[in-house]
Amino acid sequence: MDNILEINGIHTYIGQFHILEGVSVIVRRNAITVMLGRNGAGKTTTLKSILGLTPPREGTVIYNGKEIQGRRAYDIANLGIGYVPEHRAIFRNLSVMENLKIAERKKGDLEGKSEFIFGLFPDLKRLYRLPGNHLSGGQQQMLAVARALVADNKLLLIDEPSEGLAPILIEQMMEAIRILSASTTVLLVEQNFVMASKLAEYYYILDDGRTVHEGKMADLVEDKELIHQFLGTALQKGGRA
Amino acid sequence: MRQGFFRRNATMLVVLGLIAVLGVIGWTTMGQQPFVRTTLSGLTIGALYFMVASGLTLIFGLMDVLNFAHGTMFMLGAYLGWQFYTNPTFLFGLFPLIFALLAGLVTSPILRSTFMSLKVSEKSQKSIQTVVALAGIALIVLAVRGLDILGLAKTAMVATMNMGNPLAEASAQEPLAIFWFRPVLMFIAGLLLATASARPGDRTQVVYASDKRQAWIISSSLLVLTVIATLLRESAPNAVLMWNGNLRFFAALAVGALCGAGLSAAVEVSLIRPLYVRPLYQVIVTLGLAYVLREIIQVLWDPLAYQMTRPPMFSQPGKAENILAWFSGQNLTVDVLGVTFPSYRLFIIVLGILMVIGLGVLMNYTRLGMIIRAGVQDRTMVEALGINVRKVFTIVFMLGAGLAALGGIGAAPFIPVQPNMGDAFQLQAFIVVVIGGMGSYSGAAIGALLLGLARAFGDYLALKFSLSPAIAEASTVIIMAIVLLVRPAGLFGKKE
Repeated sequence: MDNILEINGIHTYIGQFHILEGVSVIVRRNAITVMLGRNGAGKTTTLKSILGLTPPREGTVIYNGKEIQGRRAYDIANLGIGYVPEHRAIFRNLSVMENLKIAERKKGDLEGKSEFIFGLFPDLKRLYRLPGNHLSGGQQQMLAVARALVADNKLLLIDEPSEGLAPILIEQMMEAIRILSASTTVLLVEQNFVMASKLAEYYYILDDGRTVHEGKMADLVEDKELIHQFLGTALQKGGRA
Repeated sequence: MRQGFFRRNATMLVVLGLIAVLGVIGWTTMGQQPFVRTTLSGLTIGALYFMVASGLTLIFGLMDVLNFAHGTMFMLGAYLGWQFYTNPTFLFGLFPLIFALLAGLVTSPILRSTFMSLKVSEKSQKSIQTVVALAGIALIVLAVRGLDILGLAKTAMVATMNMGNPLAEASAQEPLAIFWFRPVLMFIAGLLLATASARPGDRTQVVYASDKRQAWIISSSLLVLTVIATLLRESAPNAVLMWNGNLRFFAALAVGALCGAGLSAAVEVSLIRPLYVRPLYQVIVTLGLAYVLREIIQVLWDPLAYQMTRPPMFSQPGKAENILAWFSGQNLTVDVLGVTFPSYRLFIIVLGILMVIGLGVLMNYTRLGMIIRAGVQDRTMVEALGINVRKVFTIVFMLGAGLAALGGIGAAPFIPVQPNMGDAFQLQAFIVVVIGGMGSYSGAAIGALLLGLARAFGDYLALKFSLSPAIAEASTVIIMAIVLLVRPAGLFGKKE
């Protein structure tokens, strides 16, 4: 199986709002796939639907050949899916160490991974004992990514890792994602088109809760018209970065 | 790092400093004896407040559930502990019925997957639910009281203290062959109530395979417990009554706390859990539960006030010269800094302090505590890490109710055991939670200390200046108002 994850036409509601009206995405093993689209296109909801945080009412989510839609979120996560939510949802009242420790699925996970994690984000070693709310925005984002690396995850869902970061930190974050993608498959949501185009191999464009376009990133970069049609604002934002 | 420690604990240090300053003023103006006595009674009340408030604040912080049945758990604990300590016959007659009812109740997820695909029009769904639920309640009443009507059996009860209770009389002497009907009826009643809560015909529900598996396991183990409890219902209480009073007292503490925890686990799973999407309904459910449980208590024990006697180790006549002397004399009172103080109340203070330390260790040094602290902030993210948050919810609910029940038994030797004994404590515990900050366990500890002392010193001042005793009660609300003006989220509340 070279597809680690297949999403087939999922429909997700939040309250009575029909947010996803048929999203289909395939994530190929050992590559970075990015979901693009305007604000409110349904990218974050798609990630949450995979994890079962907002369970889809229709459609299937197939992970490693098994249907996982309708299972509980913790159950899905334990299959080896790591989640880095948007807005750096770290636990601010826990120390950096506890933020990592809580992600352990079995004893010793953290010891085994700490060298790898500190290699990616050297800052965290220095901040190890500090509470999360003492960290800067960039440091919190790094901690959020690091937290998803503690357990033995086969697939990482990363939501807007560059959001609100200074350009130099974006560079560092890109480098980290590139390194970790050597051992893990990544499904990325990213507004920053420059970052997305440098990292990802495959792309999907979402619009109004539907998948409207897909292909190889190398082809999309050439297709200025398509970029303009669906990602107008996103491109400008990326252009600045 | 040192500097960091002071900055992080600034609020705690300021509050403790204020208490210390007020203490020095009190000591010098009041004189040693009244000051020590008032402080000790303040600590006693504070310890009880903490036992109720700590659970309340954790439950609210983690699950956003305002649990209005928390004071009821305090009251229930007092009844169970008192009954176990004085004469457990009645309790042991009750256990099989409760286990059987719970075994039926927890089958809800299994029934849900069976009944949700029934073709029922939306209108009749509601009426079916109501009818089935009413039938279940009717069966419970029949199982508890009604078997006499069927003329099955009723003989006099030999044990002491049955308070003319039909269930106690019948269950103690009923032949096993007849007693069996009661748990069976209770189990069927539980099944009916579970059917009602499974909302037959409502296809919008989601059933998880893991819930069904869990329901099978819990239900069958409860059925096994029912059988064991039925067989032991006569021999067990006799054995317990042979124990010495101290052992029976500590066993009563454990039994009351465990029963409170077990009952609230059932409440969380069957009533609270389906309503996490509708927080307002949860408030109403807990409020309703408080009333229902109180009425049940009144039916079982009659609306009277009972007094639990102190265990022998706190009731030998005479005064111990100091705390060390008490260990050999086990006297009724102890001399503390020149004040004669009941030894049992000192025990409550110690129990409270042990609980603060125990909960502190649990919250700060265990994985469960770490998960609870993280969950108070963001439970969705905790679940996304692969942690079964619902299980943690149930554990916290049990823990909170167990602590409240423990507080109730602890209070039973000096507060009359009666159906409304939990109300005042619940109100004060809510104030403690607001002062300390919702979801903060250290806030609950400081808030309970503050309120306990305020009550005691308020009483002292009211007596001294012949003011209305309402001053003491108002003082807690005044403290809450001041704290909210300075820190709207409470002393240790989240800033958002």
